[in-house]
Amino acid sequence: MTKDIFVIAEHRRGEIRDITFELLTKGYELSKDGGRLHTVLLGFQNEKMIDELKPFSDGILNIDDEKLKDFNAEYYQMVLSNLLQEKKPFITLLGQTAFGIDLAPSLATALDMPYAADCIDIEIDKERVYTEKQIYGGKISSRVSLVENWGYMVSVRPGSIAPKEGELKAEVTAITSPLKEEIDYRRFVQYIEAAKGEVDITQAEVVVGIGRGLKEDKNLPLMEEFAKSIGGVLACSRPVVDAGWLSKDRQVGSSGKTVKPKLYIAVGISGAFQHVMGMKGADTIVAINKDPNAPIFTVADYGIVGDLFQIIPKLNEKVLEVK
Amino acid sequence: MNIAVCIKRVPETAEAAVNIDSSEKRIVEDQLVFDINEADNYALEEALLLKEKTEGDITLFTVGPKEADEVIKMGLAKGATCGVRITPENLDSLDSYTIAKLLAEPIKEENFDLVLTGCISSDAGNSQVGVTLAELLGIPHASLVINMEIEDDSVTVQRELEGGLLGELKIKLPALFTIQTGINEPRYASILGIKRAAQKEIKVVENITVEGMKTEIVRMYYPPAGKMAEILEGGVEEVSGKLCEILKGKGLL
Amino acid sequence: MNEILLGCIQCGKCTGGCPVSTRSTLNIRKLIYRSLIKIKDKNKDFGIWECTTCSTCSIRCPKGVNVVDYIIDLRSYEIEGGKVQPQVRDTLESVFKFGNPWGKIREKRADWIEGNGVNILKPGEKIEFLYFVGCTPCYETRTQEVAKAMVRVLKTASSNFAILGTQETCCGNEIKRMGELGLFEMLMEDNTKLFKEFDIGLLFTTSPHCYNTFKNEYPEIGFEVEHYTTVINRFIKEQRIKPKGNFEKKVVFQDPCFLGKQNDIFEEPREILGNIPGIELVEFERSRERSLCCEGGGGRMWVESESDAERLAATRVKDAADLGVDVIATACPFCLLTLEDAVKTTNLEDKIRVMDIIEILAESVNLETKNKD
Ligand SMILES: Cc1cc2nc3c(=O)[nH]c(=O)nc-3n(C[C@H](O)[C@H](O)[C@H](O)COP(=O)(O)OP(=O)(O)OC[C@H]3O[C@@H](n4cnc5c(N)ncnc54)[C@H](O)[C@@H]3O)c2cc1C
Ligand code: SF4
Ligand code: SF4
Repeated sequence: MTKDIFVIAEHRRGEIRDITFELLTKGYELSKDGGRLHTVLLGFQNEKMIDELKPFSDGILNIDDEKLKDFNAEYYQMVLSNLLQEKKPFITLLGQTAFGIDLAPSLATALDMPYAADCIDIEIDKERVYTEKQIYGGKISSRVSLVENWGYMVSVRPGSIAPKEGELKAEVTAITSPLKEEIDYRRFVQYIEAAKGEVDITQAEVVVGIGRGLKEDKNLPLMEEFAKSIGGVLACSRPVVDAGWLSKDRQVGSSGKTVKPKLYIAVGISGAFQHVMGMKGADTIVAINKDPNAPIFTVADYGIVGDLFQIIPKLNEKVLEVK
Repeated sequence: MNIAVCIKRVPETAEAAVNIDSSEKRIVEDQLVFDINEADNYALEEALLLKEKTEGDITLFTVGPKEADEVIKMGLAKGATCGVRITPENLDSLDSYTIAKLLAEPIKEENFDLVLTGCISSDAGNSQVGVTLAELLGIPHASLVINMEIEDDSVTVQRELEGGLLGELKIKLPALFTIQTGINEPRYASILGIKRAAQKEIKVVENITVEGMKTEIVRMYYPPAGKMAEILEGGVEEVSGKLCEILKGKGLL
Repeated sequence: MNEILLGCIQCGKCTGGCPVSTRSTLNIRKLIYRSLIKIKDKNKDFGIWECTTCSTCSIRCPKGVNVVDYIIDLRSYEIEGGKVQPQVRDTLESVFKFGNPWGKIREKRADWIEGNGVNILKPGEKIEFLYFVGCTPCYETRTQEVAKAMVRVLKTASSNFAILGTQETCCGNEIKRMGELGLFEMLMEDNTKLFKEFDIGLLFTTSPHCYNTFKNEYPEIGFEVEHYTTVINRFIKEQRIKPKGNFEKKVVFQDPCFLGKQNDIFEEPREILGNIPGIELVEFERSRERSLCCEGGGGRMWVESESDAERLAATRVKDAADLGVDVIATACPFCLLTLEDAVKTTNLEDKIRVMDIIEILAESVNLETKNKD
């Protein structure tokens, strides 16, 4: 049995996505157990991406085919199930992203391979693989074991591994694409950009993020006023957008925008990881939440446990005083 | 159009304290309130909207304990045609893969044009069941669907990608979609409606044991304290003052 | 056709008195007309969710048409269809799941007590006075102060009282008025069953809304139900409560619709205020039966009006300002919240305070106990 680790590279519109480097960092660590680390790159006209990926693994398996240009789970699965069957890597890593979520479960099933989703850590112990993950919205952690098999698949939560610089020099192996006919039952059509809104929350130095704790849109003026006083813009968690209180371009998080302001104030936001992903890069994070156990306090630098409807008006007052 | 919708009964844990029981493999459920999983509720609504447009039946499937009938009844009250509850003997040790396997059997028996699931459950949060099920059924899928438009035998769907980007796909039916929250506005199931639905029969599949688990929970534990915010103590006035001082000190005000 | 409406002579007195008719699309007479001549179209755009179920229309109607029940009927039709505004859906789902309309979990229902030593009733126990706190004072921070004041006052009255703690569940008054009749039935049955587990002498409520439904819509409740103003007023007369401390303020009383108009309790609140030393009590031009609704009833606490016109609470607060009062007193958590909000939006925060009568009384009584200590 090999101890090789495969990382399925993720890219979009010709750009390697950050998660790939996170996976490669973890993969490098896992490969020290006597295996080699391979980046598996499915795409079209891959040269530029190959250059970028070279320092991060021992080998790059390159499958270059126009059909693989934009992600299509059907094509990707066909290529990968062949490849994994043949090369039999010990662990195959993907991201728990729109790409990984669409691909990993069916690929693992097709290969009858144990698959652990949404992991934040992976451990090899005597031929067995264990993963750590968060459940119940981050309130509980869980250690998961994968049943014994020749190979395992794990998808990793974005942002859970700090990427390191690569120091390797990958050997590139071209693999002929096995794809022949066009698939007509699942076709990629196009990318659609989110509608541009009036403010760009990604450019703001101070962002006030509001969540479901706001309860009703009639409470918005309170937050607008506060955001104004503190010289910031309003952003929000996803339920706020779902409810139609703020427009989609204000959403922070995995399916919204990533913001890196100097100051992020999360108000009535529980701190679900999808949200945290979009704001954890802020220099200073303040959380205001009435639940002392809300996960947001584990990412914040400063926390206030209490009712936002009492705190925000008072804070607003103080901010205006100090300014 | 005949539609299958997979729904799950999950505990509401957003505000409640969540505790692990002595087995360390489960949480204590006594104090918790249960409801239909949020994303599944959007999937159900999407099916109901389609039914209003195109006629046809909606069959609900759930894997869960007897109490999971509650979410089926709620779905029936909203307008689903019938429901199937699958309760294997080893319900407690199921993983996402075996849940999908249990769902696949009865779904395969009927010819559904469309299978819908939520894109994630609020308990385990694997985002795995739907896509696995599609593979077991041998039909194409799209996950994280935030928009769908049906024309004859194909569907144009938009998937929610990262950073506000959408990916548009065209998929032939039959297909499976995992539905993202926000795709529609779920309706209300009135109590009278639920009571009326209680008279409809729910098909129960039990006395079976499923094998082939791919993962197993070794142990649950409370997240390590790790990084924790400095919690400002005091009354409203005091904490507001303290925070202002800190922000000012950092040149953020 | 709707039987409730038989007898309507289209005089328009209902619309004439309807507080929301001028600021929204709701025209109740027209709505009845359409129903009488069987125009079948969706009632969606007729503003049926604007109604506060204040009952002014029913009271004014010369033919005794129960107009409010008609509104409830129209709403229940929409509820059964399921396609209601998200706020309506969320409120009702919250009551179903957690027993309160505020989306809060049951375990936190008695958190407001904060170890203040309140007797929580146990099954089988006998109690002279059961204080039914109500969902809003249990969870909503401003009105929690009202419940706390109630406890302070009751303690000085050395009365034998208890609360239900986390066993307490929504009374259903608003739920019925939002048209969710099945859920109302369920709450009524559950509450009646719960009450039977104890030996209750008398139940009194913070809110006129809870009072209204327990008093008039729970056929098998099996004990006396009163609003707290009645109980407290009696205690004052019996000298069990002695307001002593001066409350040197000009005060106007806002009659809550569910207390005054709908249940004819006009004197007790005024008598309590009259017994607090120092108070100068004045009246709104429109008061008692003619009092202006605050727009907090009938589910409107959770359903925003579509209208941009001035809120009735704002009108009321401005009237109060014209009277030159320091305090608007009321005896209903919804009035308290809507009026206080209006004080903020009209920028009258420095001039006018909105208080529940029990809070004023607690200030006055507490001075006394402080002196004693
Ligand atoms: C594929 C996918 C993508 C997603 N993308 C995103 C994304 O980009 N961004 C995002 O934000 N979410 C995203 N989500 C949703 C995410 O999982 C959470 O559901 C969401 O972030 C929760 O939002 P919230 O914190 O506002 O609400 P909740 O989790 O409901 O938290 C509300 C919080 O408010 C607190 N609170 C309530 N009342 C008060 C009060 N009066 N005072 C103070 N605090 C109060 C509560 O204690 C609670 O912690 C995504 C989900 C999926 C499946
Ligand atoms: S109950 Fe009040 S708000 Fe409703 S229609 Fe009658 S008068 Fe108008
Ligand atoms: S007041 Fe009575 S009789 Fe007159 S229009 Fe209204 S419902 Fe009809």
